[in-house]
Amino acid sequence: MKSRRVGRRVLSRNASGISRRDFLKLSGAGVAGLALMGVAGCGPGDELQETLQWQAIPSYSLEGTDQARVEYLQEAIARWEEEHGYTIEPLVTVADIGAANARLLEQASQGRAPDTAMVDSYLFPRFYEHVQPLEDLGEGVSLDDYFPFAQDLMTDDAGEVRGLMFTTDVRVLYYRRDLIDTPPASWDEVLELGRDLANEGLDAYLFPAGRDEATMTTTVLPLFWSQGGELTDEEGNPVFAEGANREAMINVLEYIRSCVQEGITPQRVTTYGLETDLNGDAASGNTAMFHGGNWQVSMLQEIVGEEEFVEQWGVAPIPAEDGSSFATTSGGQMWGIFTEDPEKREAAISFLNAVFVGDEGMTGWCNVGGYLPPRETVFDLPEYEGNEYTDSFREHLDQYARVRPAAEVYESISAEMQVALSGVITGETEPEQALDRVAAAVGA
Amino acid sequence: MEKVAEEKAASRWRPGDTPVPWLLPLALVLVLVFVYPILEILRLSFTDASLVRPEYAYTLESYITLLRSPDFLSTLRITFIFVFASVVFQVLLGFIIALVVDQGVRRGLRGTIVTRTAVLSAWAIPGVIIGIIWSILYEESAAGILNHLANLVGFGSIPFLSEPNTALASVTVANIWRGTAFSMILIYAGLQTLPEDVLEAAKIDGANAWQRLTRVMIPLLAPVLFITLIIVTIETFNTFDMVMALTGGGPGRGTEVIALSIYYQIFQQLNLGRGAAAAVMLLAVNMIITFVYLRYIERRQGIE
Repeated sequence: MKSRRVGRRVLSRNASGISRRDFLKLSGAGVAGLALMGVAGCGPGDELQETLQWQAIPSYSLEGTDQARVEYLQEAIARWEEEHGYTIEPLVTVADIGAANARLLEQASQGRAPDTAMVDSYLFPRFYEHVQPLEDLGEGVSLDDYFPFAQDLMTDDAGEVRGLMFTTDVRVLYYRRDLIDTPPASWDEVLELGRDLANEGLDAYLFPAGRDEATMTTTVLPLFWSQGGELTDEEGNPVFAEGANREAMINVLEYIRSCVQEGITPQRVTTYGLETDLNGDAASGNTAMFHGGNWQVSMLQEIVGEEEFVEQWGVAPIPAEDGSSFATTSGGQMWGIFTEDPEKREAAISFLNAVFVGDEGMTGWCNVGGYLPPRETVFDLPEYEGNEYTDSFREHLDQYARVRPAAEVYESISAEMQVALSGVITGETEPEQALDRVAAAVGA
Repeated sequence: MEKVAEEKAASRWRPGDTPVPWLLPLALVLVLVFVYPILEILRLSFTDASLVRPEYAYTLESYITLLRSPDFLSTLRITFIFVFASVVFQVLLGFIIALVVDQGVRRGLRGTIVTRTAVLSAWAIPGVIIGIIWSILYEESAAGILNHLANLVGFGSIPFLSEPNTALASVTVANIWRGTAFSMILIYAGLQTLPEDVLEAAKIDGANAWQRLTRVMIPLLAPVLFITLIIVTIETFNTFDMVMALTGGGPGRGTEVIALSIYYQIFQQLNLGRGAAAAVMLLAVNMIITFVYLRYIERRQGIE
């Protein structure tokens, strides 16, 4: 009898007949076990104290596709870890830098930001209240080493240094040396020279004018700033559609429309949202001038050949309305340190100094990535490789460079201006009407 | 004693007695990755939330601004033109290709498998790659393939992507090329289910090819065609990747479909509230179409 009962019990268990109590006990034990494992994994053990979180977008991380960059990072990180006894915990965010910064800001506002993270330099002022002030910038680094625009970005309103800029870039006018003796400085000169070049069947003057940020940074802003225009006031309110700023912006739209209407610029520029979209045209041999970024040099040298490119192409300031008040847009990347732990903060400064910011770090990273160093003193180091155009880029960074406003409304202004410019180029809207639409859309 | 034990064992709860434990994991996953995000989007659509500001207020402003905005109405118009043209041609061309392949198979012609594979490859390629392929074809500089051909036959340069109207047509053509394969697969599968005897009977009764197609095959295929229409419509309303890669919505807002507009609102202008409101509208359109589909299925089941 007993054996039969046991047998039945075994049988019923095999048929998954566990009691409700057993089921709940098992579930409870499982949940408790998982919770314990979680607590053990997240506890403030000694091991975690020695881990430093480091967040970057994929191309600046160990998950990049450029082997040379990845090897540089692997070696530099391993060397630093060995010397300092810390372990770097690499965190990779999304490739879209705008989205990556938006997420980081959200994390920072909730106190969940990693120990140190990469921030687009023009957006850095939005992070001032979340990043830690830096009294020491690391070995051999001083604020005075940096270009003036970079110093402004790194320092908050109270004069405290909040970030470490480690790369920069600049936009210029590329022109064909074999076709143009003296590059045009004013808009009138562009139009005059452009007509002659267009009559020879050339695409005289190209620039990005599509649905992406380069339309703003490489086309609109240098032309707008060269007239003294301002997009926002000090409080971050949009002022680009008022008074002299309005006039300056309408001038920009009219100038671009003239370029297209006179056949100097082809209408297809509305399909170019990035500077690199112009590479095909630049390499085709049919383009005489274009607005581009410093990073295009290495790309174009790969396409047309190093010597041929240098022989054919020169760089000059992006033409200004009056031919002298040049302006250009600069950008780059910054490291922000979020950890409140003083030891980790010190370790972060040391790590960033060794890999990206110090003399050796900045030279190494800028050489391998083809970036311009934001510390002017690095240009003079023999280890910094640069290229034939480096001196011109340095001059432009020093004299003409400005950064986009960090105001929250900027993204809306940029998006609406991209649409407005396309509308003016295709003849759908008049410059004034286009500007009014932008103003209405962003609440200016 | 034994009876009592048996009764006790029978009254003991087993996880297998009810489908709940087996459905629970799926239900949890659905709640986490489907229901919760939808509710969250719905909630955010009634706020002025930004992607970079933690604080926000509840308001109807997102919907009001959106519905008053001429840009959003233009986006809706562009989306409907894009969807209508895409769906009509995808289903029509899919039907023709499926019919041709089916006839080829029935007649034992060579090359039907190659044709099917070639058409299917368009469906298998990711939207972003299709966008890039077509942008190379549409390139307006001297390097552009289609423009080179147009120049050879004396048409001159065609502004495929830089003129708003031609750009919308160009994007729609690329989408038709992409989506035709999917329609073809569904309709081809439907053709395989047609009863041979009915087709044979129509032939014996003297119906010509056109009559057999319009009076026998199409009525029999109607349920498949209807389902294809619904699926293709929903898929086209949600199109984002290919347009993003091909034009980015430009020139101006000439090819900005609603899914792309949502992306720009949220990730470019960081306007979470307004982007969520636009997403809710797209969801509503898709839900209406799905509802029509479900009603149709119910009605058919009722008839059967």
